[in-house]
Amino acid sequence: MITEFYTFFEKSPFKSFLGLNTTMDFSLVHQNCFKMFLPEIFLATSILTLTLYSVFIGSSRNLGYPLIIKNLIKLCILTLFITFLLINNSSVFSLLAYQNTFVFDLLSSNVKQILVVATILSLVISEDSVVRQQINNFEYLILILCAVLGLMFLVSSYDTLSLYLAIEMQSLCLYVLAASKKDSSLSTEAGLKYFILGSFSSALLLFGISLLYGVTGTTNFDNFHLLFSGIGFDNFSFAPLIEKALLAISVAFFFKIAAAPFHMWSPDVYEASPTSSTVFFAIVPKIALFTAFLRIFQIFFSGFEEIFVIVLIFFSLCSVIVGSFVALRQKRLKRLLAYSSISHVGYLLLAFSSNSLEGVQSLYFYLIIYMLTSLCLWSIVLSLNTKSNLMKNKTLLDLGSISHSNAALGFTTLVAFFSLMGVPPLAGFFAKIEVFLSALGSSLYFPALIAILSSVVSSFYYVRLIKTMYFEKKEEETSCIPVNHSCSLIMSLCLFSLIYFFINPNFFLLLTQKMALCLF
Amino acid sequence: MFFLMDYFSILLLLFVSIGLACLILGASYFLGIQLPDTEKSSVYECGFDPYEDSRNKFDVRFYLIAILFIIFDLEVLFLFPWSVSLSYLSSMGFWTMMDFLFELTVGFVYVWKIGALEWE
Repeated sequence: MITEFYTFFEKSPFKSFLGLNTTMDFSLVHQNCFKMFLPEIFLATSILTLTLYSVFIGSSRNLGYPLIIKNLIKLCILTLFITFLLINNSSVFSLLAYQNTFVFDLLSSNVKQILVVATILSLVISEDSVVRQQINNFEYLILILCAVLGLMFLVSSYDTLSLYLAIEMQSLCLYVLAASKKDSSLSTEAGLKYFILGSFSSALLLFGISLLYGVTGTTNFDNFHLLFSGIGFDNFSFAPLIEKALLAISVAFFFKIAAAPFHMWSPDVYEASPTSSTVFFAIVPKIALFTAFLRIFQIFFSGFEEIFVIVLIFFSLCSVIVGSFVALRQKRLKRLLAYSSISHVGYLLLAFSSNSLEGVQSLYFYLIIYMLTSLCLWSIVLSLNTKSNLMKNKTLLDLGSISHSNAALGFTTLVAFFSLMGVPPLAGFFAKIEVFLSALGSSLYFPALIAILSSVVSSFYYVRLIKTMYFEKKEEETSCIPVNHSCSLIMSLCLFSLIYFFINPNFFLLLTQKMALCLF
Repeated sequence: MFFLMDYFSILLLLFVSIGLACLILGASYFLGIQLPDTEKSSVYECGFDPYEDSRNKFDVRFYLIAILFIIFDLEVLFLFPWSVSLSYLSSMGFWTMMDFLFELTVGFVYVWKIGALEWE
């Protein structure tokens, strides 16, 4: 557009008439875009710099091929912290940039902040595990930074093409992260499984996008808005085709967030990939994926309400039921947490399907509280180390007698599980009740009832874990290896915030309301 | 039908290319002197026997080189449309490509330094 205008402007006689004999300076046109993109530009530049730094130092013979992974973790945390500050610094309320392919508003900047903070925290808690598992290739951390960059693009994307590219960028990094323990066949298998299913879902996404493009002739969300805001869909002869396109896109989305029945990859990948990558998979990407797809679906929601609500409720109830019932039989801690995350995705989709401001608000509130809780839980998983099980994946039995050997860790586990369950004096209770209230507000009585009943079932296995911890005598007393200092700091921070946000949830309620308002 | 007129040149190209291909192949088939032997008529496949069990060991370095080749070849392919349309682009378009080339160079330096290009 701009170039057309430019050539027109160059040739037109108005130019001399207006007395504009200087050529236009196009750096000024994109000035605001650059300003908005500063965090991403900074992150991308630091990724390049860190790659060069680590490849030159790490492969230097004079220095004796040093291991730079510990050093690099600190540098990554520093980079992400500066990125966080830069995101904080941006002040524009709402802006479409680069020919409307990216949007910058309150929602995107808030989600980016949450993403970056979550990545910093997950890097801090998994630092010990990275060193212990001898993941000595520095690419591991560079890939985490690349994934964060992709997720940041995803949050801002306002065009199906930029959406697809951003999704590919983050998921390619995640595939490699899953396979990053090269000497373990399980980890390689996890990476391959994730790659095949992920690329399958990406193909579905592309299919949906191409159908949308075929019908409407545009890939831009802004144009979709313009196209579908005035007319009803009943008069639109291509409505069935758009329905199919949206179905393909939503199935791709359900693959990515591991909603049942597209959840098969997630327990295997969680179990088999190195725990430090699992922490990242479990905590960080969900909020960005939800944001990107909320942006698409919000445009079409009003036109396809009947089919959309049915689809979302079907997948939501599937995830809740599968997550609650299959987790009952799990013996391994990481698999259990994977299934529990599937059931939580179900609650998130229930909030989504209520199609109201309260629904989106409760979705974000639930996501944030869930991220806090799972940060706490994963740091517990990472610190359940005894001399004998140091390198193994943890089973539920490893939780036994933790209340005797490390009482504080036991108490934190108790609180985190109670919060996931939704027991009142904790933040998880508010998150769950918000979701159910928003569903009831949109008169989704039956789905809300099923979800509540399933959450009762799922509380069984959380309570069983607590019983293992507190009421079962273990034959031989094993002593825990002391928990890493920074890990314990984050754990206690999460613990206190879970209690604090029950007493005073206003901060997150206001924040999520502001975020939800951006979509309506 | 009116809209299909835009594709007339492509139709023309299709016919011309089919005709040209038939002409060249037919001319070499009918006019050339043919003395086939086993080496000439066998399929050429980069130093492998093409008709054997496909489940044999294969040096992973071939894959590595092939993947690197594809990556750099395809990325440099962006240069062609860019250079054709350069006169219509603003300074933004120019510097975007410079940035892209810089990042490609960083990737190349990375590949070089970790020794992915060394055969031994």
